[in-house]
Amino acid sequence: MNIHKVKQILNAVVICGEELLDMDVKMGCGCDLMSHVLAHIEHKSTLLLTGLTTPQVIYTSDAVDIKAVCFVRGKRPDDDVVKLANERGIVLLSTQLPLFESCGKLYKEGLMGISEHNG
Amino acid sequence: MRLLEIVNKLNLTVLSGSDLLDREVIGGYVSDMLSDVLANSKKGNIWITLQTHVNIISVASIKELSGIIIVNGRKPDDDSLKKAEDEKIIVMCTDERAFQIVGKLYELGIGKNDENV
Amino acid sequence: MDKITSSKIQELAYECKVEEAMTKDVVTVAPSDTMVDVWMKLRDKRISGLPVVSEGNIIGIISVEDFIKCIIFGKKEEQVKDNLTAHVEFIYSDEQLIHVIKKFEKYRFGRFPVKDRDTKKLIGIITKGDVIRCLLKRFEKEYLEEEAQKNKMCNIFKDIRSDKTTVILKYNIKGKEFKKAGEKSSFLKSALLRMGIATEIIRRIVIASMETEMNIIIFTDGGEITVFVEEDKIKVNAVDNGPGIPDIEKAMEPGYSTAPDWVREMGFGAGMGLPNIKNYTDEMKINSRVGEGTNLEFIVNI
Repeated sequence: MNIHKVKQILNAVVICGEELLDMDVKMGCGCDLMSHVLAHIEHKSTLLLTGLTTPQVIYTSDAVDIKAVCFVRGKRPDDDVVKLANERGIVLLSTQLPLFESCGKLYKEGLMGISEHNG
Repeated sequence: MRLLEIVNKLNLTVLSGSDLLDREVIGGYVSDMLSDVLANSKKGNIWITLQTHVNIISVASIKELSGIIIVNGRKPDDDSLKKAEDEKIIVMCTDERAFQIVGKLYELGIGKNDENV
Repeated sequence: MDKITSSKIQELAYECKVEEAMTKDVVTVAPSDTMVDVWMKLRDKRISGLPVVSEGNIIGIISVEDFIKCIIFGKKEEQVKDNLTAHVEFIYSDEQLIHVIKKFEKYRFGRFPVKDRDTKKLIGIITKGDVIRCLLKRFEKEYLEEEAQKNKMCNIFKDIRSDKTTVILKYNIKGKEFKKAGEKSSFLKSALLRMGIATEIIRRIVIASMETEMNIIIFTDGGEITVFVEEDKIKVNAVDNGPGIPDIEKAMEPGYSTAPDWVREMGFGAGMGLPNIKNYTDEMKINSRVGEGTNLEFIVNI
């Protein structure tokens, strides 16, 4: 599923990385614990869905090569955070939907969770 | 939908409150930030989280959530489970990740009717 | 334009050949065409001059001015062959662009037909616009290549010859400065990338160093992370003067955490830090004294 599709399913706005929306994401991860993200993201084409908007989301995503992050519940990060993402080529989206509906809708449209892919 | 049905359909392990599974689930909430759950979850929601800290029991109790599903094979310690029994909180766990557990709940119809939560 | 840029462009004018810059799809007229045909072609293609070609050989050129003269003298129904400029300045496709530029200066023509040196047939046409476009394109390409070169990973262990090479990177971590937490590990990642370390190795080191950085920021007033990069392994040493870990065994249990709630709300402090470090590294050692500080060392073998 490319990020255009994610954007459309979640009715999301693009905060940065408009030029990278053709990129494919294969898996979804809904999570606010960055240690968990560090520990469990194995696949590079993962979309991270989170309610956290701190710089650590970007540093963590960069560490495990996550290329797309969607903030839920209408959250938007500060400009500093957007700058960090821009520098690292990470797409940022923001949706009004809560995390529950965001994961639900993407799963229904065929995006996989992490363990399913590995198994 | 009642919790029992969800437990059976998603093959969840019940860690506390196994006698309370006739509770009704109204919508769901996923978050690992306790303050977020305190602020935004709704009564009757089923809560999906990675957190195992004893404070999750207090949050579920205060917000009158229908249950907590701890994902990714994580398990709370005995103190948390004892507190859960005391406060009549149903704690369940699964090896699956939040993303697909939520996906499956969504497919069962949980949370679909209140998209503007 | 600064001096470096202009000399660079000059250099490119010597490097680029006419065939790179020319328009290959040439609009031509035949000697037997009328001047009205010429006008229609000039108008439709929005150009100001056409080569006159007979059997692939260029015999002249005809321009807007030639057409205007024909109108003035009432000769617009006449054939091209009677009105063309027969003396044609042309250029060969294998010549350097600098020659075209000099020709433009000398003759003040708008265009030159391009011939193949062997067959002497017309194979293209070149205008000033074509020259400028070509130079700019090459300039951009070289600029990008240069930039890429700057960022290109150098494989330090292949480039440098010694009996043992160790690159030491030191990062000072300020305690309690959560806003920047993770920044130093991010710097470490790009440093290792540039040294040509394999991405899977980098990933493991960076995950472990990110957790280490978090621990120093969350629990102490500051510390230092030192990274020793060697050909067969990367060793990280983290030292702080924090409160120390009273029960290391317990701290190694997944889920065990003494982190305050504000840290948990930041997405860390869920008791996964040390277990994460252990999982992602080949060796890990902790020495800690309560009230004195902690010394953590981990190694990832390459």
